[in-house]
This record gives sequence, C-alpha cells and structure tokens, in this order.
Amino acid sequence: MNIIEVEEVWKKFRIPHERRATVLDAIANTLAFFGRRRSTYEEFWALRNITFQVPKGRSIGIIGENGSGKTTLLRLIANVMKPNRGRIAVHGRIAPMLELGLGFHPELTVRENAVVFGAIMGLRRDKLREQIESIIEFAELKRFEDAQLKALSSGMQMRLAFSVAVQTEADIILVDEALAVGDMEFRRKCLSRFREFRREGRTLVLVSHDMNLVTEFCEDALLLSQGEIVASGGATWVVQEYIKNIESQSISSEGCGEEYGR
Amino acid sequence: MLDVIWILVKKDFKIRYRNSALGFVWALLNPLSSMTILTVVFSLLLKSGIDNFPIYLLTALLPWRFFSIGTMQAAGSIAGNPSLVKKIYLPRYVLVLANNLASFISYLMEFAALVPIMIVLGMTVTPHVLLLPVIVLIEFLVVFGISLGLAALNVFYRDFYQIWDIALQLGFFLCPVFYDPNIIPEQYRFHYSLNPMTRIIESTRKILYYNGFPALFDLAAPLLSALLLLVVGYGIFRWLEPRLAEET
Repeated sequence: MNIIEVEEVWKKFRIPHERRATVLDAIANTLAFFGRRRSTYEEFWALRNITFQVPKGRSIGIIGENGSGKTTLLRLIANVMKPNRGRIAVHGRIAPMLELGLGFHPELTVRENAVVFGAIMGLRRDKLREQIESIIEFAELKRFEDAQLKALSSGMQMRLAFSVAVQTEADIILVDEALAVGDMEFRRKCLSRFREFRREGRTLVLVSHDMNLVTEFCEDALLLSQGEIVASGGATWVVQEYIKNIESQSISSEGCGEEYGR
Repeated sequence: MLDVIWILVKKDFKIRYRNSALGFVWALLNPLSSMTILTVVFSLLLKSGIDNFPIYLLTALLPWRFFSIGTMQAAGSIAGNPSLVKKIYLPRYVLVLANNLASFISYLMEFAALVPIMIVLGMTVTPHVLLLPVIVLIEFLVVFGISLGLAALNVFYRDFYQIWDIALQLGFFLCPVFYDPNIIPEQYRFHYSLNPMTRIIESTRKILYYNGFPALFDLAAPLLSALLLLVVGYGIFRWLEPRLAEET
C-alpha cells in the first residue's frame, strides 16, 4: 500500500514583473489590460508532470539544485498549496518540518512557545503538558524555560523548534533542510531521533543537499531539475546520477572557460 | 482543532498585553477616557440634553470598541502570519477566528470590569440583562463575517486595512454612539438602521440604559445581517483561500 501517491502533478506560479501592491495599481493594470497592453506577470511552471509513490514504511529523498521545485513539492504534499493539475493522495497524518519555529513569537517565553508550536504541529494538548518537560530537556534549555524567546540565540531557538517537532506522532514527516541547525552535538541527537523514526516504520520525506543523509535515511530518491523528475529509484543510484550530472556540468563549463580564455 | 484554536487565542491574548506596565488596565482606561472626552464635549459644551450621558455613551462605546478592534486586529491576522499560512496546513479561518475570540474575551472582560463603575455612575441592573448575551453573540457573528472577508482581501491588497480604518471612523459617526438616533430625519431612518451596529448599539442601550427589552425586530434584523455578512465574508475567504499561501 502506498502512503503517498503523487499523480501527474503540475504547479504553476505567477511571477509578477511589478508587484501589484495597491488597489490603485490593480485598477491601472486593469485599464492597461483593456488597452491591450501586456500583462504584468509571467507564468512559470515550478513542477511539471510529477508522478511517484511512496510505499508504506519507506522513505524518500528529494534532491536537485536550488530552484528545482523540491520545496514546492513538499508544500503540495503538506497541502499548503494546491496543484494546478494532477492529484495528490496522502494516507496518514503529516508533520511538516518545512520551517522550524513557525508561530514562534519573540515576546512569549520558551515554554509558552513550545506549547503553541506543539499545538500547531498537531501534538495533542493533554500529551503536550506531559511532553513539555522532555521537549525542554531535549533542547537543553531548562535554564531558560521562562525567558522570553527574543533573549535566546537563533541556534537555541532552532533547537527548541526541532525538539518540539520531533515529538510528533505523525506517520509522515516532511523535512526541508531542517538539520542544518544546531551544533554538532545537537545534530547527532537529531539524527538518532530520525533513526528511531525509521525503526518505527515511519515515512520521511527528506529534502536535502547532504547526500549522506539521503542515502542513510531513504530507500528511494527523486532527482528534480527545473521542475521535472530526471531520475528516480534507489537512493544510492539517484545520488550517483546527481553527482554525475554535476560533474559533467562543471566539466562543460570549464571547457567554456578554456575557450574564452584562448 | 479546538485545542489549536484555544492555544492561539491564549497566545494572541498574552501578546496583546505583554511588555506593557498597565496591561489590561489600558483596555479599561481607553473607553473611560473616550467617555470622559465625549461627555465633556457633548454634555457640558454642546449641551446635548441626554440624561446620565456617561452611561448613555458607555453602553455604545463598549460594543463599538469590540467591533472596531475586533475587525481591525483580524484584518492583519493572515497577512501578519505568513509562516502559519505557508509552512503548514491549518485551516486558515482558524487564524481569523482565534484573533476574533481574543478580542471577544477582551471585550467581555472589559464589560465585566466596567459594570461596577457604571453602577456607581447610576446604571441600574434589571433582569433585562439576561438578554444581553444574545446581542453580544450576534455582534460576534457580525465581526467574524467582516473579519473573514477583510483578512483574506488584505493579503492581496494591504490597502484594505487603511480603507477599513477610514470606514470605521465614518462608522463611529453613523452609529448612535453619542447622539440620539431620533435626530435622524424620518426618510433616512430605514437606511440608517440597515447598519447592524446601529441596532446592536440601540439594543444594548435599551437593556442597560432604558432598562427594557429590545423589540424582537431589533434583534432579528442584526442577526440576519450577521448571517449575510458571514455568507459573504466566508465566500470571499473561500474564493481567495487557494492563493493565500502564494501571496502572503
């Protein structure tokens, strides 16, 4: 059985040339439209014809250069955005770690923020009361639990966010470069928590530029380039393809450089 | 979902009064100072001739404050929370509802805290007040309906916030806050009372100032407009919702 099914998904964005920020601008634009002037935005397909499945209990890595559509794909799976065409079916609860610390407020204390963020991440309130201690423990912020968040360093804030997020009981965990936070010791703790998730048979959807993470945590991987899948299959193989692509690109650009040099 | 709403309400509420020495006391000082200013201007200087003018004012100022603060605060509730819209799936109306509920609780506390002052100023409490919750709830629906539409529109055009601010200034004079609605010429009376806040204020005043029951029609009419505003507001919200994540 598949836990995530993505079928022929297309996603289009409008890129405004000039942002219509006020009503007056919109009226001006509308008038311009009637005057048959060019519209002020262009359309851009961020994802084209994406199809893949994730079987229950397996994890998938999504790799590709910046702007290839990885985060857009995660947002579609998280139901934050809707695809223009195609269908996405998710069979299970999702915990998106698309951005850590969402809903954090600098004026609230560490503890209060943990409660708010936990509730948003879908932790049950009665559970949250019990878990709050272990969250603060995991984040190593016991000393600061009643301090306003703005007094903490950004690394500490990220640690708190991560500690709340890893308490999730969801079947599917979407991770977008979330591990790029914290010091080495904290990173080690997070990785071992991820291994636990894997042992429990939960699905990770991992967007990362760290190929070692992808090959360690994911059975399968997708390689995106300009919104299209250019390789999919076993994680090790896809990562090799990606590295090969990058190498061949850098060789060809070096070649160009030589030509210009002459 | 109820858990999330409740936690967001508490968060909103805490943020409103944190880092201010007087905190919630401001929510009492503000209407009291409006009342004092308006009393001095209209009762002492302009001699409006309305008995017990401070109470007359407060019975209108309090509902009006909830209406203006509730809608104004909610107008930015989606545009001001991009991470909650972009990064996670929460039904987006939750943000508006939580914001409205925080204003609502603030309003109820304000009301409760000012009742003793109003009694000192000469208000009499009669069993008619039992009808007050109905009016308060109708007003909440009015505020929620407007907030839904406003919050969604404000994501696309920040001008709506400014437009609404001006509309509220006008609205303050269009509602019978500091004058007797009977000064409105007969031929405009119908248009005048189409404004749901007019009837909400008149009904509140009927109970607390005149110690009587508002006419059934004075409750049914704002309830109808509240439902209409909800339908329109929710319609606008649903229409714009798919694009909210892309525009915030």
